[in-house]
Amino acid sequence: MKNIITFLILLTFSFSFSQNDSINKLEEIVLKGNFSPSLNSGYSIAIISDSILNSEYQNLGSLLQNQVNLYFKQNGNGMVSSISLRGTSASQTGVYWNGIAVNSSLNGQTDFNTLTASSFDEVEIRKGGGSVLLGSGAIGGAINLRDKIIFQNKKEGNIQMGYGSYQSFSAQLKGLYSSDKLFAKVSFGGSKSNNDYPYLNTDLINENGEYKNYNISGVLAYKINNKNQINFYTSIIDNDRNISNTLTAESNSKLLNFDSRFLFDWKNLGDRYTSSLKLAYLQEKFTYFFDKDLPNNSKGESKNLITKYDFTYFLNNNIFFNSGIEYKNSKGNGSSIPNVDQNDFTSYFLFHHQPTSKLNYNLSFRKGISTDYSIPFIYAIDGRYNFSTKFLIRANYATNYRLPTFNDLYWEPGGNSELKSEKSNSTEIGFEYTHKLLRFNITAFYIKSKDLIQWQPVTNTLWQPQNIQDVTNYGMELSAYAQKRINNHLLGLKIQYDYTISQDEELNKQLIYVPYHKANSILNYKYNKWNFTYNLQYTGEVFITTSNTQTLNAYWLSNITFNRSILKNKLKLSLIINNLFDENYQSVAFRPMPNRNFILNINLKI
Amino acid sequence: MKTLKLAVLLIALIFLNSCIDDDDPKLPKGDYENGYFIVNEGPFQNGSGTITFIDDDGIVSQNVYKTVNNEDIGNVVQSMTIVDDKAYIVVNNSHKIIVVNRYTMEKIAVIEGNNINNPRYFVAYGDTGYVSNWGDPFDPLDDFIALIDLNLNDVKNIIPVGEGPEEMLVENSKVYVNLQGGFGQNNQIVVIDTSSNSIDKSITVGDVPNSLITDNSGNIWVLCGGKPSWTGNESLGSLYRINTNNFDVSSFQFGATEHPEHLTGDAGSLFYNLNGKIFVMDFKSSELPDESLNGFDGFYYAMKANNGELFVTNAGNFSSEGTLKVFNINSGALIETITTGIIPGSIVFQE
Repeated sequence: MKNIITFLILLTFSFSFSQNDSINKLEEIVLKGNFSPSLNSGYSIAIISDSILNSEYQNLGSLLQNQVNLYFKQNGNGMVSSISLRGTSASQTGVYWNGIAVNSSLNGQTDFNTLTASSFDEVEIRKGGGSVLLGSGAIGGAINLRDKIIFQNKKEGNIQMGYGSYQSFSAQLKGLYSSDKLFAKVSFGGSKSNNDYPYLNTDLINENGEYKNYNISGVLAYKINNKNQINFYTSIIDNDRNISNTLTAESNSKLLNFDSRFLFDWKNLGDRYTSSLKLAYLQEKFTYFFDKDLPNNSKGESKNLITKYDFTYFLNNNIFFNSGIEYKNSKGNGSSIPNVDQNDFTSYFLFHHQPTSKLNYNLSFRKGISTDYSIPFIYAIDGRYNFSTKFLIRANYATNYRLPTFNDLYWEPGGNSELKSEKSNSTEIGFEYTHKLLRFNITAFYIKSKDLIQWQPVTNTLWQPQNIQDVTNYGMELSAYAQKRINNHLLGLKIQYDYTISQDEELNKQLIYVPYHKANSILNYKYNKWNFTYNLQYTGEVFITTSNTQTLNAYWLSNITFNRSILKNKLKLSLIINNLFDENYQSVAFRPMPNRNFILNINLKI
Repeated sequence: MKTLKLAVLLIALIFLNSCIDDDDPKLPKGDYENGYFIVNEGPFQNGSGTITFIDDDGIVSQNVYKTVNNEDIGNVVQSMTIVDDKAYIVVNNSHKIIVVNRYTMEKIAVIEGNNINNPRYFVAYGDTGYVSNWGDPFDPLDDFIALIDLNLNDVKNIIPVGEGPEEMLVENSKVYVNLQGGFGQNNQIVVIDTSSNSIDKSITVGDVPNSLITDNSGNIWVLCGGKPSWTGNESLGSLYRINTNNFDVSSFQFGATEHPEHLTGDAGSLFYNLNGKIFVMDFKSSELPDESLNGFDGFYYAMKANNGELFVTNAGNFSSEGTLKVFNINSGALIETITTGIIPGSIVFQE
């Protein structure tokens, strides 16, 4: 939090000589790229700040579940965890790292249990269709994982360590150096756990659930002059997990993942324009052992080289154009994937107009070509209207696509090179009310998707993906936040509730693993150096058969955290109790989740 | 006094009645005596298979094992074999065989351990059970037949075999094992001598032998699907007849890109499923049939002919309930359609 305030003060200060709307927007676009609010007038972008990301060591999936009411399908604790935004599939949520799409080229998804929350400085969650600005897959929404670069004289170190139930250890070390020209940051850490929690109401434990992971990330940035800045980012993640038993099936399997990402970014800022040239190299690798004691395994790998150029030009204070081109070369190979080499070229254009101080809107479109499939023409319109400083309304309509993955196209056997992209039309309308320390937000959304790719049996032994499923999603999202300070007591309460219908048009049934109801509340109480948080989550019943005949029970989950800062806030001690009431719950059928468990965490600033 | 007499009479009647009942051979031995079973694999990994029972009046009971034993059977219920008054339920991905009373479905024993690894099918001869096991499905060299002592319900020995042992049958005091190939493709029938419990011989048949039956005149018929096109090495389907007395082999070749499956026999004929059609062939015929049977079209997940009726299952999208259809073979009439559990993989009749 402190960092953000410092940052805001700095930002305000550096431009106080020219309190000009367009300059503010310019600066914002330089910083946030395609996730900047000006380019997303009709969308809400939730931000998770570093104070929350860094409060204690945890994986990003759990943190997003606790903080922003997102739904994840977790194959047991620490296992593969996939997101469903607004009832869409895991590959219809775009995940970005400093603005670069990082969903797997093989399966189109991101496993949120491979990401460590405290290795990032900020996470942006942009719900709603966003393929025009963000590319393939951003149908339910998009999540951006950011490193923040601030040029100021600062040296900082941070050590975080945790120890908890099931022999779980974690540590993350961070060092930061910055001057008015140079910024350098290094972060590395990891966690391991036996993860052998008991399955409640049985004699079984979560066998073969051990995991360990490491992450290294770094940022190096140099401000050449007031107009030019170069940034270099890197992130390496190494994950080693056994695949745990289920209630009915033993497992001796193991999954290794290795992801490395490099990004070079040259930003150029003029009086009326911003330009950004990004070069990125992304590599992912997995190795799966059916039996971890044997050498036999199956593998997959992809390498992506991305070149992206983005340019924004301000015609005047009220109108600007944003345009970009992106070239992506993807290579893949593996035990079940032949050597493939694919080239995609896409471009997008956005027109932003602010006719009055109360209204602004964007018109945008995107078109691409590819060596492997056709990329459809898509467009979007979005805008917001501020009735007053307290009350605003925002709305958007977008067409979106998701391109087939390497697995869909080339898997041996079954891959179908004739696949088209999945298409969707999405719209939403939202109202926001902000008054002092009270915030209220209500959004209604509607997504109609067609040609969704489904793997189906074509014979009893051969499955093949086909563009066959049509799905309609609609629902409501409510959130309310209030804060009250009385002397040294600070009380905050955030409540979120999502209602989601996600219906297969042919079967007229709710999709499996999409809860109708999902709710979350966070109660936070601060007194001097004491801090107490109570997080209560509700996940409604989900269907586990496409005929909607079998369900997983709804569950309530309570997690609490006590913090105490000592040594002039240099040291923070935390006690976390997850699943306080020993709820016996499953996120995926037959894979029980942990019972009540404890974590002790220390955070030391140097 | 009258009342007492009446009471005595009543008690006597009840006693007598129960005595008579005890001796009555028609008393049901359990709820699942008269009818047949559908074995549903259930979803892979995150779930349990189930057993559906359809009684002689057509009344369907789902999930009968769980109803009786109050526990899930396990993951991927591959097959069930009835032997005398017991049934052996082979649970592939839970690596176990559950022994139940065939009439009541009550659990008697569980056979598991290191020598049961990816079990597939079960047959019995005398006091010995034979279980085909894939071992690690990615390892072509560790497949085996586990020999079960049926009195102790324990593995007494194993016999290593080639890749992918699948269905088996007993004929002429020998066990015939179909080496379908598991995740790969194989082309052997292994013959086990039940007196020495060792491999008597291996018989080469067509690629991917997927089902086998006996014609009750000393012949084993093996249907081979051939290698599918996605292997990059497609081969023809074939039908093999093995004389179990002298091991003479004769074969019938299918046409290009034809991959038949689900061999079943009834009343002097064999049936199989090919390209979404059902074909019938007399055991004495000298060539494969040209014409398919009318009215039975479909790609089936399991198929069995029994007493003039053809039973076929459809697994649908594999993530919700499947269906069973029963046809009259002569008239082609659809007798009934029954909802099963998830992935109905086999149909088991009482003898």
